[in-house]
Amino acid sequence: MALTPETLPRHELNGLPVRIVESDDDSRVGLEGRVVIETTNTLSIEIRENGDSRVVMVPKSGSTFEFAITDDAADAEKASGTASKLADTQPAATDDSSAAADRAGGDAAGCRGDDPSRDRRHAAGEGVAYVTVDGSRLLSRPARRTETSGDSPWQ
Amino acid sequence: MDIAAERIERLHELARAAATEDDHDRARYYVRLARRVAERNRLALPRKFRRFTCDRCDAYLRPGRNARVRLQDGHVVITCDCGAHARYPYGNDDGNDEASEREDDTP
Ligand SMILES: [Zn+2]
Repeated sequence: MALTPETLPRHELNGLPVRIVESDDDSRVGLEGRVVIETTNTLSIEIRENGDSRVVMVPKSGSTFEFAITDDAADAEKASGTASKLADTQPAATDDSSAAADRAGGDAAGCRGDDPSRDRRHAAGEGVAYVTVDGSRLLSRPARRTETSGDSPWQ
Repeated sequence: MDIAAERIERLHELARAAATEDDHDRARYYVRLARRVAERNRLALPRKFRRFTCDRCDAYLRPGRNARVRLQDGHVVITCDCGAHARYPYGNDDGNDEASEREDDTP
């Protein structure tokens, strides 16, 4: 059960690169950064621009988020330059997870074509998958998101 | 490995990264979230996680920065900046009951 487009709504969001593609509040559209804090109703996104960083708290409901999933989280950490040492500690077994994610994502796109608002995936570059999730699907206490059995949106 | 265990792993790394940048409040947030996930899913926290977090204040411990590590006969005492001590045995002579857990103890 690696981090795939299917499991993302139940997986850890902290640390993931994210972009806001749609929002009730136009000023939030296009914000791009990394999730640093999650609460029941909000995501705090750390935005780094030319040297300094700021944290913006965005309500989950009313926005559509696009998360970037890399081969493993360590790659993302390394890219941001925050902790390059993490890359060494990542188990090698996750190397093929992106291939698995791609396949699973393809399946999901095939069988869930009727609902364009979720799990839209388009690959860009090596080993990166973008997963679009409507924020209302993430409404949950952070520790409890994992527990909804199965990946069906109908709970 | 199910999602909960992976989340704990990810939160462990996030906590370590935050502590490395001296953002200890954020590290605490990740440590507490990992504990909560473990508790709700009835998982034991990884040994490394237990050894590098403070039971009292949930800080992520970085020896030399916010924790002191001292060796006494047969056990390690790690003292958090908040004052809490944690002790655990070292050495592999007398079979302590943690020995059976060794296989996941890769550095
Ligand atoms: Zn402490």
